[in-house]
Amino acid sequence: MNRSLFLFKKTLELFILFFLILTVLFFLFRLAPGDPVTRMVDPMLTPEDAAHLIEQMGLDKPLTTQYMIYVKNFFTGNLGFSFHYGEPVARVILSRLPCTLLLFTTSTLLAALAGIFLGKLSAWHKGSRLDGVLSISALVCHTLFVPWFALMMLWVLGFQVGWFPLGGIISPELWIADSSFMIKTLDVLHHMLLPLLTLFIIHVGSYLLLMRSSMLSVLKEDYILTARAKGLTDRVIRNGHAAKNASLPVVTSVGLSLAFSINGGALTEQIFTWPGIGRELIFAVSNNDYPLAQGCFLLIAAVVLSANLIVDLLYAWLDPRIHY
Amino acid sequence: MSYNSGFTQRFSTSWKIFIKNPLGKAGLALLMLFAFMALASFALPFIGDMYDPMTGVDPLVLHSVGPSAVHWLGTDFIGRDIFCQLLEGSKIAFIVGLASAFISIVIGTVVGMVSGYAGGIVDMLLMRLADMVMVLPSLVILLIIAALFGQLNIWMIVFLIAILRWPAVARVIRSQTLSLKQRPFIEASRVAGASNVRIIFKHIMPNVLPLAFLYMTFRVTSAILVEASLSFLGFGDPGQISWGMMLQWVWSSGHMFQAPYWLLPPGICISLLTLSFYMVGRAMDEVLDPRLRKEGKPS
Repeated sequence: MNRSLFLFKKTLELFILFFLILTVLFFLFRLAPGDPVTRMVDPMLTPEDAAHLIEQMGLDKPLTTQYMIYVKNFFTGNLGFSFHYGEPVARVILSRLPCTLLLFTTSTLLAALAGIFLGKLSAWHKGSRLDGVLSISALVCHTLFVPWFALMMLWVLGFQVGWFPLGGIISPELWIADSSFMIKTLDVLHHMLLPLLTLFIIHVGSYLLLMRSSMLSVLKEDYILTARAKGLTDRVIRNGHAAKNASLPVVTSVGLSLAFSINGGALTEQIFTWPGIGRELIFAVSNNDYPLAQGCFLLIAAVVLSANLIVDLLYAWLDPRIHY
Repeated sequence: MSYNSGFTQRFSTSWKIFIKNPLGKAGLALLMLFAFMALASFALPFIGDMYDPMTGVDPLVLHSVGPSAVHWLGTDFIGRDIFCQLLEGSKIAFIVGLASAFISIVIGTVVGMVSGYAGGIVDMLLMRLADMVMVLPSLVILLIIAALFGQLNIWMIVFLIAILRWPAVARVIRSQTLSLKQRPFIEASRVAGASNVRIIFKHIMPNVLPLAFLYMTFRVTSAILVEASLSFLGFGDPGQISWGMMLQWVWSSGHMFQAPYWLLPPGICISLLTLSFYMVGRAMDEVLDPRLRKEGKPS
């Protein structure tokens, strides 16, 4: 199989999965107790507007037709109107997407890089004091309860020490005062640091543990012995020969742990009032804004699936032994 | 008889390896502490109405105060005893963790054995399904279900977590089954005329159960964390006090910067309980997988 066929197969697989999620969600919305119309049409609308919306979504038609319209609406970006914002759901969630992606990708990348580096050291010095400290800290990070840890960070670094703002993404006064681009960027970074640090600490532990065990098994391989026999320095063997191969499973795990990271990300956004998709979903669920909740959910699903695809491709690209 | 003594011997050897591991020892000690707390919660109704974790209110307090002789860890925003809530939360965490892990282990083991044993199209379909379920973020799914169906009760939450969390187990059991399938004793029983169902449950299952049991400890950890997160966001079972719910009260009643005596205990308990299950799992891992043991020991 060649590379483009592999790409095609993976994309098709994820597309089918997304379609399944879309379908299950459609039936969940109709199976739930109560009238599906009240779920998709804002009860505050005037009868004419409501009738128009019902017509547009096909809520008065038989189930199969409804399903067709639902799928068509989804692919044309029509996700209904948010009850709370009174705006199209697509517009609301697309405006939240950059915030989530910014926080999420930065923290995942930093945590994976740091985890690979520390895991490498830990495995190389197996049994030493450094290894002990790193492994135990990683275990603790890995099992931390996310909301509580985020609250502790907020309490200690935000409230007691006062280094960081207590939430949000910007300081409104700076933005009203028409400050320079530089100041605005620094302001966003300042707001981002605390949630970033929280997510980083939560994720770095599992990457470290994984890299450590992967590195330990690679170090037993024959080619490491060969490299030693050739008289290569420890540094070259560690970084060049062992770590490169050992980091492959870590790349895969980024994809597999995405589901876990999304949970943590939503909770972190909620506590630091970071205006992302996760927080919007929790808000929508708390306020019975069904169209918005549905939109957030589908967007999160789409993000998870595309990230998985990227990880798969990255893996195939990194490991020359893979035959597609 | 001989099977029994063999089992006892195997168990005692495993136990020796397990208890030598510092992680296993520490994890087990912590688990016993939490189990004791969970058991102690059954005594609460006999101490007095004031100490009921859900309805007991200290009439002399009625707001949040710090630790005292009457209330060891202080009281919450309406004067309920935090220590009693902590004990009750321990019970709920155990119930949620163990029940949910058990269901997901049953599903995962059956799917894994069938998939590995049957092979072919059945295997492909089941593993594709596992891959699909694996990428779903459980908390987000539970949130959307809570939005549609209203407040979920504790057993519904347990069940939902379980059916979202079996794929990792199924994968491991499948690969174990694949290697077992090649062994002579499976071939022998097939020649002797055993049905597929009998081979799976009588001959393969006993051999994959230790591994399933190991994975149960990791499932417990994730089930406890998901339930606590859900409760923290306010979508837990309103009739059950859980540690996540206690944290939600600290946060929503605006006490998080004023009441460290209330903010710290539930979070420390959740983190420590999940850590201890995880440590026990890692130690069991070494018992089951000799390659992980330190060099120099017979394996």
